[in-house]
Amino acid sequence: MRIEDHPILGKVERGRKITLKVDGEPVMAFEGETIAAALIASGQRVFRYTEKRVEPRGVFCALGRCTDCVMTVDGQPNVRTCVTPARDGMIIQMQGTPDQRETALDAGEGEG
Amino acid sequence: MKGNDLVICRCEEITRADIEEVISQGVTRMNEVKRLTRAGMGLCQGKTCGRLVAGILARETGQSLQELKPSTSRPPTRVLTLGVLAGSKPDND
Repeated sequence: MRIEDHPILGKVERGRKITLKVDGEPVMAFEGETIAAALIASGQRVFRYTEKRVEPRGVFCALGRCTDCVMTVDGQPNVRTCVTPARDGMIIQMQGTPDQRETALDAGEGEG
Repeated sequence: MKGNDLVICRCEEITRADIEEVISQGVTRMNEVKRLTRAGMGLCQGKTCGRLVAGILARETGQSLQELKPSTSRPPTRVLTLGVLAGSKPDND
């Protein structure tokens, strides 16, 4: 869902349509909106899994403070998606998914 | 979710029970809570949990929030790549 007509800010002007690649799947975004905005609009609520309890996390503070929404963007980990503008062709990956953890454990990482 | 299971420090996944546990062992200062539990040592550096930890500590030890010294903040307060510290230009920003 996107806000089309904001009660205070008025009509929202959007940039051109671009495409992000999120965990291999194309996600439509508008240039200038944040990565988190595009993901929420596409229906995605889980942005990462926590390291210890492997619990899902998504947007929490939505203003760049809490770091709950961090993802790997173009190979750089821990990017705060709620304050990072979307750019065409960005490669975005979830961090700490149960699958990734299994692979890391198999390779002998993640212990200690 | 029981109150004690409540995650207080979201970055390091420290619960209210974890914090109350160290307080019950005699801890009275913010810095001590931080060093014993890691609450406030994660990605956001205590921006989210600092006030909550202070509230729990004040209540449990009978101190007022005003007399509690905040835990020591040290740079960097934001996530940086090692490349930034080494002087190379970051890809982002």
